[in-house]
Amino acid sequence: MKIPFLRLYAMAYLLFLYAPILLLPLFAFNDATVISFPLKGFTTQWFAQMAENEALRKATLNSLLIATSSAVMATALGMFVARAATRFRFPGKGGVVGFIMLPLVLPEIIVSVSLLVVLLQLGVSLSAFTVILGHVLICTPYAAAILNTSFGALDRSLEEAAYDLGETKFSTFRLITLPLVMPGIISSLLISFTISLDEFIIAFFLAGAEPTLPTYIFSQLRFPKGIPMIMALGTVLVAMSVLLLTIAEYFRRRGVARTGIKDTGGFL
Amino acid sequence: MSTSRATMIEFDNVHKYYGDYHALRGISARINGGEFFSLLGPSGCGKTTLLRTIAGFEDISSGAVMIDGRHMENVPANKRPTNMVFQSYAIFPHLSVAENVGFGLRRDPRSRAEKARAVEEALEMVGLKGYGARAAHALSGGQRQRVALARALILKPKVLLLDEPLSALDRKIREQMQVELIKLQREVGITFVLVTHDQEEALVMSDRIAVMFEGEIAQLADPETLYRRPNSRRVAEFIGVMNFLPCQVTGEAGGHIQLEVAGLGQVEIEPAQAPGVTRGGPASVGMRPETLTILYEGQQAGGREAPGVVEEVVYYGDMTYYDVRLDGLDHSVRISMRNVFGRPVLDIGTRTRVAWSPGALVLFR
Ligand SMILES: Nc1ncnc2c1ncn2[C@@H]1O[C@H](COP(=O)(O)OP(=O)(O)OP(=O)(O)O)[C@@H](O)[C@H]1O
Ligand SMILES: [Mg+2]
Repeated sequence: MKIPFLRLYAMAYLLFLYAPILLLPLFAFNDATVISFPLKGFTTQWFAQMAENEALRKATLNSLLIATSSAVMATALGMFVARAATRFRFPGKGGVVGFIMLPLVLPEIIVSVSLLVVLLQLGVSLSAFTVILGHVLICTPYAAAILNTSFGALDRSLEEAAYDLGETKFSTFRLITLPLVMPGIISSLLISFTISLDEFIIAFFLAGAEPTLPTYIFSQLRFPKGIPMIMALGTVLVAMSVLLLTIAEYFRRRGVARTGIKDTGGFL
Repeated sequence: MSTSRATMIEFDNVHKYYGDYHALRGISARINGGEFFSLLGPSGCGKTTLLRTIAGFEDISSGAVMIDGRHMENVPANKRPTNMVFQSYAIFPHLSVAENVGFGLRRDPRSRAEKARAVEEALEMVGLKGYGARAAHALSGGQRQRVALARALILKPKVLLLDEPLSALDRKIREQMQVELIKLQREVGITFVLVTHDQEEALVMSDRIAVMFEGEIAQLADPETLYRRPNSRRVAEFIGVMNFLPCQVTGEAGGHIQLEVAGLGQVEIEPAQAPGVTRGGPASVGMRPETLTILYEGQQAGGREAPGVVEEVVYYGDMTYYDVRLDGLDHSVRISMRNVFGRPVLDIGTRTRVAWSPGALVLFR
């Protein structure tokens, strides 16, 4: 009998990847303070505890504020990058775009430490705002990459046709360009939001006295009693991430279908 | 049917550089009002670039473009009395057919109902009556083309610019659209400027054609002149098939040019048959395949004839193409013969006589 090696390999791969995440909801609903098998019984008390926790609520609000602001700013910057990269020729273009993409591969710890040094030198006090600055830096390359695809797939003559038919440069952008790259913009917003939401290192270095969700979770891991609640929180976060990425992919596919561009696989 | 013969577009020594690349090299030409004008040339010769200088998408490096007597230097594309049909058609995929066609009317002060009627009329003109509510991205190639036409014509431009509008269509639809475009142009009386690299398409559709090579206009003439009296070997080779025979210009007498042509002997031609030649010396003459005739047993040539041997036969049903090597020539000439009922197709190797006429020759340097 032939052994289906590749299939076994793929299954093992997925198991290692997702089994730990499946443990999250398991223990989030387990009626015990100790994270170990066998399971004791079903409870929703950890979720209730989570909802009442004042510090957690504050960290959540911080994170939402930071993630939303970072997503909007990174996407706006990404649009400038994508438009410049796909529509204009200028000297040193490759280098400039390369530098914008560089944070993708820079170790975050390096980025965080250097930002910290610069901010302290400038006398800027650490707050949610400084975290936003850091997150915009690391989200912009992702936004630019996604939007590059959208702007690049846009037939240039569509914009020329609208201009030729009497529209201004600006109304052409509003009537033609924007609706056609909208799926990319939504994807970019969602991806940037997700990246910022669970980013730890920059938030840890630059947040000062204002914890975000990841730094709050990290701080709570020192207290064994708090761990089941963290499990519940993790469950909620995983559910939200899956939801957001699904929405992002939905919009990307809709954009592909609507403009009749060939699907090249996308980012998911 | 041209409504006016006045100059609609004028190029005055137009140059265009892309960086160091000299894309347009001193274009001077006039396009008449109501004319179907074509820019014909091989890939990369600058046809699209020239068309885009009319539309206003391309700034020129020097020279001037005038439309209807107006200098276009500081007039942007959205203010020019021209509209364009793009090679990709550039149909807005997120809008319906009617929204596409009516796009140019957004700034029109007319009422909603009047605009809707204008859209419906435009759709009817291109044979898409009742298609208004369809999604634009779901149309076939030929239908997109028609939408693009309707969208450009709804603004009643003075000039309609078409960049290879038929090249994406398959042969049958393309030929059908050629006829429709000619009809449409006569109907609306607007000046059409068409870019194409297909010489047959240009000959079929145009009132006049500018043949371009490497950023220059090599010849500007009506289709018949272009075909019968090309002014250079290059134009002759680009348009249709032409046989070339080496010759010597031996002299001039009584307003005629005297030649000694390989395989044909002594010939006298009119100066009009030598558009580009001024001096004596070595040259070549061109002959179209259909100006040569194979003579069958007992047939007499009206004019002159030359003996030769059939080297190749290509049978097309209605036509047969023969390659015949004339005595005294080291290569064969192509002859096209209409097939007539009862007349046999010759075999390879047959000795034959070829009738030709001095009036059909063109002399090239
Ligand atoms: N934006 C540009 N930048 C640099 N060079 C260009 C640009 N646009 C066109 N060219 C060059 O100018 C020349 C003429 O281009 P153009 O598009 O006018 O050719 P064309 O005659 O329309 O050819 P085709 O039949 O392939 O469309 C080409 O060699 C092309 O590479
Ligand atoms: Mg072109």
